[in-house]
Amino acid sequence: MIAIKDLKKVYNNVLVVNVPELNIRRGESVGLVGNNGAGKTTLFRMMLDLILPETGEVYMNDEKVAGGEAWKEYTASYLDEGFLIDYLTPEEYFYFIGGLHKLTRAHVDDFLLGLSDFFNGEILKRGKYIRDLSKGNQTKVGVASCLLQNPELLMLDEPFANIDPTTQFRLKNMLKEANKNGVTTLVSSHDLNHVTDVCDRILLMEKGRIIKDIATNSSTLNELEDYFAIEHTGTVRLKIDEEENH
Amino acid sequence: MTSTFIRHELKAFWRARNTGKSIAVHIVVGLAILYLLACALLVGFQLNKILIKSAPHDNVIISFCGVILTYYMVELLLRMQFQELPTLRVQPYLQLPIKRNTLVKYLSLTAMLSAFNLWPLILFIPFIVKIIAAGMGWLVASAFILSLIGISIFNNYLALYIKRRAAFNGWIFIASSIALILLGMGDFEWHLYSIKHISYLYFGHLLLQPGWVLLPLVLGTVMYIINFNYLKHNLYLEVLTKHKTLRASTTEFPLLNRFGQIGDMVANEIKLIIRNKRSRSSLIMSLFFLFYGLIFYTNPKMGEPIKIFAGMFMTGVFIINYGQFMYGWQGGYFDGFMVSKIKFTDFLKAKYFLFTTVSTIAFLLTLPYIYFGWRTGAIQVVMYLWNIGVNTTLILFFANRNQKRIDLSKGATFNWEGVGVTQLLLSFPLILLPYAIYLPLKLTGFPNLALIVLGSIGLGFVLSRSYWIKVLAADFDKRKYKITEGFRNK
Repeated sequence: MIAIKDLKKVYNNVLVVNVPELNIRRGESVGLVGNNGAGKTTLFRMMLDLILPETGEVYMNDEKVAGGEAWKEYTASYLDEGFLIDYLTPEEYFYFIGGLHKLTRAHVDDFLLGLSDFFNGEILKRGKYIRDLSKGNQTKVGVASCLLQNPELLMLDEPFANIDPTTQFRLKNMLKEANKNGVTTLVSSHDLNHVTDVCDRILLMEKGRIIKDIATNSSTLNELEDYFAIEHTGTVRLKIDEEENH
Repeated sequence: MTSTFIRHELKAFWRARNTGKSIAVHIVVGLAILYLLACALLVGFQLNKILIKSAPHDNVIISFCGVILTYYMVELLLRMQFQELPTLRVQPYLQLPIKRNTLVKYLSLTAMLSAFNLWPLILFIPFIVKIIAAGMGWLVASAFILSLIGISIFNNYLALYIKRRAAFNGWIFIASSIALILLGMGDFEWHLYSIKHISYLYFGHLLLQPGWVLLPLVLGTVMYIINFNYLKHNLYLEVLTKHKTLRASTTEFPLLNRFGQIGDMVANEIKLIIRNKRSRSSLIMSLFFLFYGLIFYTNPKMGEPIKIFAGMFMTGVFIINYGQFMYGWQGGYFDGFMVSKIKFTDFLKAKYFLFTTVSTIAFLLTLPYIYFGWRTGAIQVVMYLWNIGVNTTLILFFANRNQKRIDLSKGATFNWEGVGVTQLLLSFPLILLPYAIYLPLKLTGFPNLALIVLGSIGLGFVLSRSYWIKVLAADFDKRKYKITEGFRNK
């Protein structure tokens, strides 16, 4: 589904992403972990054609992402609140996104009904614009709009970061459910528990490189905890990744 | 403590991300203020002559006494519009062991550092020294100066108080503006009372009994205390940082639904314009420009070249005013837009759609100007075609070169955000291009041909839109990464 070749990105003479090769098959659920500044968000942005890499290419379904538009048909993503049109109400936003995928309002309403547990009564019919929602609730709107698009590929950056524990559990189930239905998922997170729970395959990034690529099993969590617990003198970065620190 | 606050504020200023730009803005604003102060000084020194000229039969001191209160009324209105609230971000200090009174005192006192407090002194002190001190003695003169200071303080804190309250409830601002205007109308339009007389009543007494100076001083102090207490009781985080969120309105544009995806995008952009302060004021501004015709078409002395200019602005000011910051208005969510299933050509079509709609509405509203002659009507039509043809395309061409996002939450007054070289470069072709075509033909004796050529070029651009959309989309693809990166920088 996704193929990355020789992907490199340099900011101020620092190599922030350096992925010689990465292949993700259709239907996989992949977790991306790594400390701040490891290059996770930059990698996501390049996969979504938001940043131009110095060298290399990202292919989705054997088509180049850069310059192409076909991938937008089946890819849904939420990286941060910069993906939301913040002066709309959540309903208006969902109708808009639904409309892009030729969904009628009734269809969108129907879909949202199924998310009422996830929304916990805090999103719909509250008479608020998206800009007035808390960050956690904005994340909910972002994730819901992704699922609304019925994607083949779902990319989420730190979806667990701002939401409450109950919603975290619900989100995990939703991701598992989506993956069971054949959606390829790519999720980054700082929460090792969640990410090993949801994903079959874990990619560990350090200084822009993918240094571990492991299939999740019972010892994966320990393995990751061991990696993060020891002191990484080598990972102290001279420069903090611009993308994470804006 | 106060010195620490000042040091922090200076650091905040110098270390801000866009320091370079804001220094430039401060210099421009500073020069403008200096210029105005110099003008005030000039008027101040000539005030006695001006007063004698405007009311030759009255005693000049009486005229002077009558003017003062009127001045302060106008000043209050101006203050409410332009005076800025002091900016110290109290958030990081609130939970620290700093007395609230210290914070509030700092906020209150720095509020006095406003050019508005200088103007009355510069304007009136020369007169007081020249005429009153010479005629009535220094005691009376200093009473006058002190009472001016008192009223300034009163006005200063009253304006800030209204502005602070208005931050939570916009109606307070509108209500107090209307009250002030009604107060003025009551005098100058309906002659119910005379502010001049009230002013004379007070300052006349001051001439004879300088003890009256206490009245404005007490008023100023009371207003300071009211403002101080209000600030102190509202120094909570959420109150100072966040405006109370009004209940969101859901607006529907059923007409636009017929146009599918493009209609949806236009509906979104209309919501953007209506629901955000700065974009809203650019729309309201365009409404004011509809009255341009009354200035330029009614005056027979105005030549046709000026009418071309007026015609362009009446139907095109929204395109220019709003369009010059494109796509910065959408900078906040441009990433989301880039990854969603929208073709850029459709995005451009939506922009053309929006511009054409607004321009057409303006065109229809200004049709009555045909009353001033068929030729005026012809100019209107020609410039309308020019706007929806050439100017829309030009604006979008420059939009591809704009990388500055606009923070939608901020107001429009003195807001220079998003203003850069692009906007400056943009104004040249926009204003000069129609003249480059019109003037040579007009001066060589073909004024009719000049209009026909302008109109045909406009129409030609309208008819070849699909071609220009392709060109603009290809142009955008080359700059896409720069633009998205620029918008990500807050």
